[in-house]
Amino acid sequence: MSTHTRSPLVTGLLLAPAGVFFFFMLILPLLVMLVFSFGERAAAGGYVPAFTFDNYLNLPARGKAFLNTLTLAPLGTLLTAVIAFPMAYFLAVKVPPKWRVVMLVLVMAPFWTSQLMRYYAWIMILGSKGLPAWLAWIGITDVRLLNTPTAVLIGAVYGFLPLMVPPIYVSLEKLDKRLLEASADLGATPWHTFWQITLPLSLPGVATGSMLVFILLMGDYILPQYLGGGKVFFIGNALVDLFLQSRNWPYGAAVSVALVIIMFVTVYFYMRFVLGKTDQRRAALV
Amino acid sequence: MKKIPDLITAEKFVEELRRYQKGSISRRQFMGATGLGLATAVLAGAVPGLRPRKAHAALSGTVNFTTWPSYFAQENLDKFTADTGVKVNVAVFGSNEEMLAKLQAGSTGWDVFVPTNYAISTYKDLGLIEELDLTRMPNYDPASQEQRFTAEGIIDGKTYAVPKNWGTTGFVVNTKNVTQVPSSWKEFFEATQGPLSGRVMVHDYQLTTIGAALKALGYGFNSVDEKELAEAEKLLIASKPHLFGINSDYKPSLISGDAWASVCWTGDATQLQRDMPEMKYVLAKDGGEIWSDFYAIPKGGQNLDAAYALIDFLLTPAINAIEVKAHGYPSTDSRTNALVPKEMLDNPILYPAAESLSPLEFGAAATLTNPLRAEIMARFKAA
Amino acid sequence: MRIYASLIYIFLYAPIALIVALSFNAGKQSMVWTGFSVEWYGKAFSNPLITEALGTSVMIALATAVLSAIFGTMAALGLERTKGWLRIVFDALIYIAIMVPGIVIGISSLITFVTIFDVVNPALEALFNLRLRMGMWSVIATHVLFNIAVVALMVRARLQGMDRSLVEASEDLYATPMGTFRQVVLPLLAPSILAGALLAFTFSFEDFIIAFFVAGPDVTLPIYVFSAIRRGVTPEINAIGTVVLLTSLLLLLIAQWILQRGNKQA
Repeated sequence: MSTHTRSPLVTGLLLAPAGVFFFFMLILPLLVMLVFSFGERAAAGGYVPAFTFDNYLNLPARGKAFLNTLTLAPLGTLLTAVIAFPMAYFLAVKVPPKWRVVMLVLVMAPFWTSQLMRYYAWIMILGSKGLPAWLAWIGITDVRLLNTPTAVLIGAVYGFLPLMVPPIYVSLEKLDKRLLEASADLGATPWHTFWQITLPLSLPGVATGSMLVFILLMGDYILPQYLGGGKVFFIGNALVDLFLQSRNWPYGAAVSVALVIIMFVTVYFYMRFVLGKTDQRRAALV
Repeated sequence: MKKIPDLITAEKFVEELRRYQKGSISRRQFMGATGLGLATAVLAGAVPGLRPRKAHAALSGTVNFTTWPSYFAQENLDKFTADTGVKVNVAVFGSNEEMLAKLQAGSTGWDVFVPTNYAISTYKDLGLIEELDLTRMPNYDPASQEQRFTAEGIIDGKTYAVPKNWGTTGFVVNTKNVTQVPSSWKEFFEATQGPLSGRVMVHDYQLTTIGAALKALGYGFNSVDEKELAEAEKLLIASKPHLFGINSDYKPSLISGDAWASVCWTGDATQLQRDMPEMKYVLAKDGGEIWSDFYAIPKGGQNLDAAYALIDFLLTPAINAIEVKAHGYPSTDSRTNALVPKEMLDNPILYPAAESLSPLEFGAAATLTNPLRAEIMARFKAA
Repeated sequence: MRIYASLIYIFLYAPIALIVALSFNAGKQSMVWTGFSVEWYGKAFSNPLITEALGTSVMIALATAVLSAIFGTMAALGLERTKGWLRIVFDALIYIAIMVPGIVIGISSLITFVTIFDVVNPALEALFNLRLRMGMWSVIATHVLFNIAVVALMVRARLQGMDRSLVEASEDLYATPMGTFRQVVLPLLAPSILAGALLAFTFSFEDFIIAFFVAGPDVTLPIYVFSAIRRGVTPEINAIGTVVLLTSLLLLLIAQWILQRGNKQA
């Protein structure tokens, strides 16, 4: 803000409230979780202190859930990004400026209605009296959608499109139109221009949106529960099960720790990979 | 709420009596109430002092009532609110394990909840439920209850839970889509992996789901034997790709036609059959569960007076009869049975023949806390 | 391209149209159409449990928005000229707060609260006849954590794009630091603070995943909806959903409009 220095006291006061929250609501719970993950399940369920690695050694028992999450979450993110991109491009480039904001708000608005209600509506749409009945009417019979990975992917795209479009839109809108014109003047095909200029410059937006959607999907349990019907099982569902059914807190804690580590590793490599290329770390973060 | 019989006339009394006697004598020895119980019922209906009073001066606020899906009559709860001013906030759960987990974690805010017979001793041992003060529930009459359904609410002579309903766990089949109706759990799982692939649901509940698999293999419903459970797990995991879903709230999927068969409780079968006569409820001939549910009060509730008032209200025979009519689970109270329509007392879903009840087992307390059963259920879901 | 956009809008709004349409259903089950009626709107808004849940949710979301906007902005300002270990630690914490999945925050907070209560409550009960329990405050606390990080990032991005010469000019004109902040910095940051607060409100209002674990006996609207779906939905819920959608659409358009004006001025 300026070249003048500020007293450490002011800095300290500015950072204190956030620091308090980070300590009590983040560091402390994560530490408790870490401690619990070495404990044992009490006889009737819950936690008794112990020091054992059994919970970690038992992680492969949830291998399928990890695998499901680690395939469907990135796939859902990718699909959402691929479907969101042309939409964001359309809004940022093709729509007349005065309509842009309204149309963007219309994309975001569904996120402001109850997520649970929207997934519930999809149960009706994907259930056998919905889409499959229509498909049967035009001759495609016996389509089963509900409680399949496909249903979960549709739900992911539906649920998170409103979060994916805005950041891509923002990065495309910032794009200097003169660059595109210059490229066209120099005889580049529209396709070439897109690959060489539009896409790379919009990557920060894509990266931000994807990151957000990926993080939300990795920890989701409502989407797989509603549209996967207990058959498409995420880590989130495994955690809900361990804490709210089988009451195996220490094992649940170990699964949580594993999930957090997976998050850190994937996000770290993702950032290095995507952001390393664009060299716009800062811009990408918002 | 207009249909509570205020007074019972002499004709009605005789009619009830006959209906009741016919029901009890023909094939329902377990309903075994006495004429005395019936008299109490009639009295309770007729004497104003024993009916829920209009003004409960001290009551206010909200009572948080935790129960099972489709297991209450909304009109009764509305009436309770109208009578007392206490709002009733209903939450439903899918398994006793889920209820226990919430209570163990604390801060539930529940005032009244509905545990199943086999769970009560665990709640008592963990100090999670209050001992009940029966004087605060004048409409509850232990003498008119069918003893074999009420025993587990009383521990060391102290009452921790009062009976709500009893029922069975079998399976329901949509005969419009299914011609070969399974008659046992063995056939149920065979059909799941065969002609009914993609159309069958099981509960998200270790007791009934693992229990059904154990029965299909010829073992005890409550087995905690490692080897037997391992086999049950294998059967469940092999069936999983063929299931439509794993959910204790299976009725919507059966109504929408997505699922054609499901593990099912008495009342859900009654409710399904009302609109869909093609729904057939089967008590597996190789076994299954017979159970009773109870009202109990968790420790640390915020609205104890309202909790007692709600339980007392719901156990009032006239009110309880409306409950039974709505949810289709038989009552444990002979006074209530006297007020339930004859067609319900004759309905074999509610009152199965004695021979189909005989292979059924009550759930055992050990299954609730057994870590292996919990883990197998979780692994089955995660598979 | 136009066709594609139209298809996207249809995709986004078909389920919502279904929710809205069924809110006018006369029948009791929201899945089966039996006739047109607006009675569920009346029922929904005279149902004290729904209005209480709505009130609880609005209060939690408002508190979350205000607290995270203030603390997040403070953190961004505090970090602006900070270097060294403090900077590294806070940067890391902000990213961890965003990266840890909601469900882990919910569960780890739950077990932490439960553990603390187990220790503290007996003493409190003996001394003051008091008991700590989870409720609105714990939901707000978990929501504020995530949203402080969101706001801090948004405000920081704005700070970096800010024209420093304005601040320097102000200081050259002997404005006090507080004066400079109020008259120069704050107006420039306002749009991003507002956007952050709006986002915080939304995340908080919509959250089920975390609240399910830490709400204790308090019922937020998403928790009520979840429970209603399990009990069997009546069109009441659809009516509430419709009203919430329309309200938020309106608020959103207003906010965007304010934001746009702010951007133009900046």
